[in-house]
Amino acid sequence: MSVVAANGLGFHVQELGEVGAGTPLVMLHGLLLGSLASWYFTAAPVLARARRVRLFDLRGHGRSELAATGYDLRTMAGDLAALTADLPGPIDLAGHSWGGLVALRFALTHPERVRRLAIVEGPLPPSRGAELTAFSGAIGTTDLGAPADPALPGRLLEALPATVRELVASGRRQAERLVRSIYTLTTQTSLLADLRAEPDFDTAELATLDRPVLCAYGDRSACLDGGRRLAAALPDARLTILPGGHYLHLEAKDALIAALDAHFAEPAHG
Amino acid sequence: MMSAAAPADRTAEILRTVEELLIEVVGDELTLTGPITLATSFNADLELESIEFVALAEKLQQHYAIDFVAWISGKQLDEIIQLTVGELVEYVATCQS
Repeated sequence: MSVVAANGLGFHVQELGEVGAGTPLVMLHGLLLGSLASWYFTAAPVLARARRVRLFDLRGHGRSELAATGYDLRTMAGDLAALTADLPGPIDLAGHSWGGLVALRFALTHPERVRRLAIVEGPLPPSRGAELTAFSGAIGTTDLGAPADPALPGRLLEALPATVRELVASGRRQAERLVRSIYTLTTQTSLLADLRAEPDFDTAELATLDRPVLCAYGDRSACLDGGRRLAAALPDARLTILPGGHYLHLEAKDALIAALDAHFAEPAHG
Repeated sequence: MMSAAAPADRTAEILRTVEELLIEVVGDELTLTGPITLATSFNADLELESIEFVALAEKLQQHYAIDFVAWISGKQLDEIIQLTVGELVEYVATCQS
């Protein structure tokens, strides 16, 4: 397994496609249910036919190391900066949900490092991310140090959309491991507190990002209003509305891949 | 030069390797679910986490000259969810011939 040390943590990184084939694309997954597998088994293999694609597990997720703190956008954009520092030239970025906001935070802070950006279902304001996840009602207002709730695992799985449950938790072993991971992240780390405390993006700052941005949102998603606001505030953004909810990489996989592939296609030379 | 192994031997060898690599990824927990056959599915039978499947693919790519990512790039989500050990073994065998 490829583990890269950054900001004091070990990160699981996967490289797809050919090195040197066009602008490298780095893809970030969403919190709690996500891991680099979210892209690895959906859009990344197709996108990697034409470009080098790098995936990594966000801190505390998948096979990356658990961090007690640092789930805010600035810290996670710092993880992204460290894990892409070796890539030459401006890079392309795509992120789902919180991962999309991490990519946006990175692009605002380091515009010279980014060529094009795709935000898939990023919640706005970011603090809504804590409530917008399908199972937020199941987790409720769990606080650090609260006693374990024996009914939580069942509630949590019931709250998952069918497409997501099929992929990540259709069996008992998978369900148990997913619940354990979510339980650890929501009760043993600052993740939920960081989400709730995340300040909103400043509209004037969004207006400074002169990079092409694809905002891909689901027509049945609670995040769609955020997508509209982003597309209006960013000077060079396009809103693409696809049939589906929050998990577009599963619910509208082919349409999302086509939109991403077109957005990141290299301009013809000559 | 030695002649190529018979397909049945090759299938058995790849199956054994897949099983060994799976145990490397998942640990002894896997052996509790019984013997792995060509009909075993990664999702329904082994209940492999998707991130564990990524780790298995990485090990397979290091072991054999295969392009797992290119292979799954042509598959629909439900085909990936229903993937069996046999399909993977057959793909590896195809790459070797």
